[in-house]
Amino acid sequence: MDNREVLVDIKNLRTFFYTEDGVVPAVDGIDLTIHQGEVVGLVGESGCGKSVTALSIMRLIPNPPGKIIGGQIFFHGEDLLKKNEEEIRLIRGDKISMIFQEPMTSLNPVYTIGDQISEAITLHQKIHATEAKKRTIEMLHLVGIPEPEQRFSQYPHEMSGGMRQRVMIAMALSSNPELLISDEATTALDVTIQAQILDLMRGLQKKLGMAILIITHNLAVVAEMADTINIAYAGKIVESASAREVFKSPRHPYTYGLLKSIPKFTEKRTNEPLPAIEGMVPSPYHMPKGCRFNPRCPFATEKCREEEPEILELTPGHLVRCFHPIEP
Amino acid sequence: MRNYIIRRLLQLVPLLLIISFFIFITLSLTGNSLRSLLTSNPRITAETITKLERIYGMDKPLLVRFVYWFKAFFTGEWGYSREYHDAVLVLIKARMPVTLALMGLSFLISVAIAIPIGIYSALKQYSLLDYAATALAFFGMAMPVFWFGLMLMLLFGVKLGWLPLGGYSSQGMDTANFLMRFLDHLKYLIMPAIVLGLQEMASWTRYTRSSMLEVLRMDYVRTARAKGLSERTVIYKHALRNALIPIITLLMLAIPGLFGGAVLTETVFSISGIGRLLYTAITTSDTFLSMGTLMVLAILVVIFNFAADLLYAIADPRIKYS
Repeated sequence: MDNREVLVDIKNLRTFFYTEDGVVPAVDGIDLTIHQGEVVGLVGESGCGKSVTALSIMRLIPNPPGKIIGGQIFFHGEDLLKKNEEEIRLIRGDKISMIFQEPMTSLNPVYTIGDQISEAITLHQKIHATEAKKRTIEMLHLVGIPEPEQRFSQYPHEMSGGMRQRVMIAMALSSNPELLISDEATTALDVTIQAQILDLMRGLQKKLGMAILIITHNLAVVAEMADTINIAYAGKIVESASAREVFKSPRHPYTYGLLKSIPKFTEKRTNEPLPAIEGMVPSPYHMPKGCRFNPRCPFATEKCREEEPEILELTPGHLVRCFHPIEP
Repeated sequence: MRNYIIRRLLQLVPLLLIISFFIFITLSLTGNSLRSLLTSNPRITAETITKLERIYGMDKPLLVRFVYWFKAFFTGEWGYSREYHDAVLVLIKARMPVTLALMGLSFLISVAIAIPIGIYSALKQYSLLDYAATALAFFGMAMPVFWFGLMLMLLFGVKLGWLPLGGYSSQGMDTANFLMRFLDHLKYLIMPAIVLGLQEMASWTRYTRSSMLEVLRMDYVRTARAKGLSERTVIYKHALRNALIPIITLLMLAIPGLFGGAVLTETVFSISGIGRLLYTAITTSDTFLSMGTLMVLAILVVIFNFAADLLYAIADPRIKYS
């Protein structure tokens, strides 16, 4: 993995939201590396800051109330946070694209899907409308939409959720991006459609070779696709390793808890309830002192309640933010 | 779509029948206008009234009278105005252009001011200009039309002398060319048009603002930004088109309301249009004239309701009529 060139390098990213009720440290020191052509998973519960990380890369944090207050996001070695609005605009949708969770609402209801895809193409590739149309139909074909010529002039409401997500993917890939960010792109879909879309994304990744950042709360989604997995908790990365490592020997108690709570069909059925992580995600307004996971952690000690652990490389390529990592 | 339009047009006839029936009943409840002549005109005798009643068919039952009237109305016989001593249709036709010009100008001014302000207020929410627009909108909604009209007349007509105080055109304009006549009318109509549209303008500002704010939070606006489109394209292509869908209906349905407002505005600015005609007709119990003018209003209401539905379908591809 490491012999490939680094595409995105996020260093100590901090994105806060300033609400009437107080400051929400949605992302509080996230580090993340994505190599060229690598599929990286970012996994965590709702509110752990994974979507905010994605929107920070795109520089699409709604301001107010949100603001990126610190850190760097290097893309090809250049800090995206130092770019002005015009420069970042030309990267968005061209070199870095994003697909979102809600295919039902992510497309504009009053324009045809052909219109919406070719709009992105003409913008970034500076080509003529007729050529853009040809390219759009190619893209629709590529993402497995039947009869792309007819679909070109259809409106989003004339399509199913799965088809719309395919349209979103076609739009995102139309300019051959180097990074595709998929923010819970399959969450809102039926499981069968979900599998189809994941298959499609995997196939396109092989074909086109772009890097993908998959953001999900569903470990099963990244299990099949990701090369590297990052586990986020309360605005920080708590564990980062290759997908194999994470599933084989999780070192952080939170990752361990997540994996334990997945029902396994291979095991003999018992009447034991499925294990769950005790307690709740901390309120963003009242982050616990010390390690943020300590109130829910079965291994927490006095030290965990006082001091915040640094993220450390325990074995080559396996990073864990814990004073008492689980022994493999 | 074509079938829908035809069906809707055919529905207009029974709809107008029902509306006119209610207007007829309501007007007949105000009393027998011929009988009231006994108190207002000392030279008239009871026998003359009875005779007149027979001539006008007032001795017939209400329903029969209505059928006669509707048949005549349908064939273009709108009756004779006692007050103006002329055919109702002729009176209405003569005054229609003024009122339509007034309504049209008022509509254009209101839209041209309200929608940009609404958009700006939404884009710069809680800015000084947003607060100022909000304050002005509430001022506009709360302002009584007749008083505001009088204040404008006092300022621009009397104190500054920039605009004429009332009427519709200057003397000797009949021979001037089109442009001169147009500018002349504009000078007379600008003040009443602003007065007439003030309340709609104020509320449209608010509606545009809230519609725009709602749309700006939508996922597809984020998608548009994620594509790398410029903020201008995001707002004016992707957000505005969606934000205007509910506004279109609002605008269309407000047009008949402008007609109602014209009654007051034309009276304050002494413009001899349909509004003032209706005012005179009602205050002098001129039944045929009242019926005729109220029917014009009814037709405007049904037509613009229909227009609202059609435009809605054009603006929003999700709406399909069959």
